[in-house]
Amino acid sequence: MGTQDLNQLGRQKLVAVTGSIKTHPRNMNTSVVKDESSTWTECLLRIANHSDQAAFQQLFKKFSPLIKAFAIRQSAVGEQASLSEELVQETMVKIWQKAGSFNPKKASASTWIFTIARNTRIDLLRKTARHHQNRISNDHSEDGFDVEDIWIENEDEDAFNQLVKQRNNEMLHKSIKELPDEQEFILKKVYLEDKSHTEIAEELNLPLGTVKSRVRLALTKLRVSVER
Amino acid sequence: MANKQLVKYHPDTRFLTDYAAGSLPESQALCVAAHLHHCADCRAHIRELTQVGTELFMEQPAAEVSSGCLDQVMARVAGAINEPAKTPATAANDSSSSDAVKKTETVSLPRAISKMTSGNLENLKWRTLGKSFRYSTINTGDEFRESSLLEIKAGGEIPRHHHGGDEITVILKGSFSDQEDKYNVGDFIVRSQGETHTPVASQDEDCLCITTLDAPIKMNNVFYRMLMPFLNRPTSA
Ligand SMILES: [Zn+2]
Repeated sequence: MGTQDLNQLGRQKLVAVTGSIKTHPRNMNTSVVKDESSTWTECLLRIANHSDQAAFQQLFKKFSPLIKAFAIRQSAVGEQASLSEELVQETMVKIWQKAGSFNPKKASASTWIFTIARNTRIDLLRKTARHHQNRISNDHSEDGFDVEDIWIENEDEDAFNQLVKQRNNEMLHKSIKELPDEQEFILKKVYLEDKSHTEIAEELNLPLGTVKSRVRLALTKLRVSVER
Repeated sequence: MANKQLVKYHPDTRFLTDYAAGSLPESQALCVAAHLHHCADCRAHIRELTQVGTELFMEQPAAEVSSGCLDQVMARVAGAINEPAKTPATAANDSSSSDAVKKTETVSLPRAISKMTSGNLENLKWRTLGKSFRYSTINTGDEFRESSLLEIKAGGEIPRHHHGGDEITVILKGSFSDQEDKYNVGDFIVRSQGETHTPVASQDEDCLCITTLDAPIKMNNVFYRMLMPFLNRPTSA
């Protein structure tokens, strides 16, 4: 890996790859995405404002199978069936408890839920690790930090207006489906399997630099700015 | 979260992506969070990267959840109905706690750090090395890395040292310079194994940093050993 790369000397923009959009037979229906997204927002607001259990069950029906899938992809959690259901439970309970802090101006419902699932998984893994190791605690040890103190919820309001945001999400939705297999594969490892670049490099027996460039290439295709 | 100074050094895409995905080791994530505290650009970038994760999350094939799961969740949720609503966002803003001491009041520290210090750096256990340098070890639970807060007195320097592993440093207060550049609050500085440098704090202000260093073997006093490479024997301190 280049030291230069790590040191982020300069911030040259890689120009996003435009054009050459492959037409895949897989189709997508953006209007469904849009409708669903506002449904989940309403559900969260109903939970927040009215402790609405029916709305919560509706969310459960949609999201618990996704959270479970997300749990299973993480090898340490996925090995134990009880742990993956624990992640579903813990995440869903947190969704209920935290619904009051959901702000549709700051995040979409699905992003907000994904973030909670991600943080809960970090927390769960930490607890399991702590359970297995006989950790020597030092100084002001206790339990380290709250996950939410490190993976902080974005407090900035989204600068884009709703229409632009919607269009961006649709574009992202569409372009993920158009990623070459190799890039989709690596992005799934990053986001779903909970593997860091370093771990992926070890697993695939690739230089770290190769993993980095594949991820960057994929992100560029998704029009996510890769400045550094 | 605002910072008037321009942040010059940012985490690269690898750090930001791993952070957004949640796989970055906590000790390094702590450094990224410290940077984000000062950098709106990278916060916006994290937002995009989190959206990518969301999209992949939503596109997963559904996995079957056992029939009892909903009941168990509903039982816990029903039990929680009468509890007062949680407001985690406001509860976390504890940097204004009444016992905050003048010394650190003026500095906006990242949330995890400000919770740790409870508004006063002197609440931490410090180890002093030489006249102008002290450090306090942070327990992140990471076996492979050591995180510390470092404080260099104004004009003071860290003895010339050699890196045995990769090191991330983020400036929380003040500034320092080395042979290459001057670094300010929020800068995310990565030094690789084998590099040598001699950071010097600026003359007008003490410099506070957080640093996370690769440490292949868990030792009590990694930082000390880093500074004294020739004493680097694995005896327990
Ligand atoms: Zn930045």
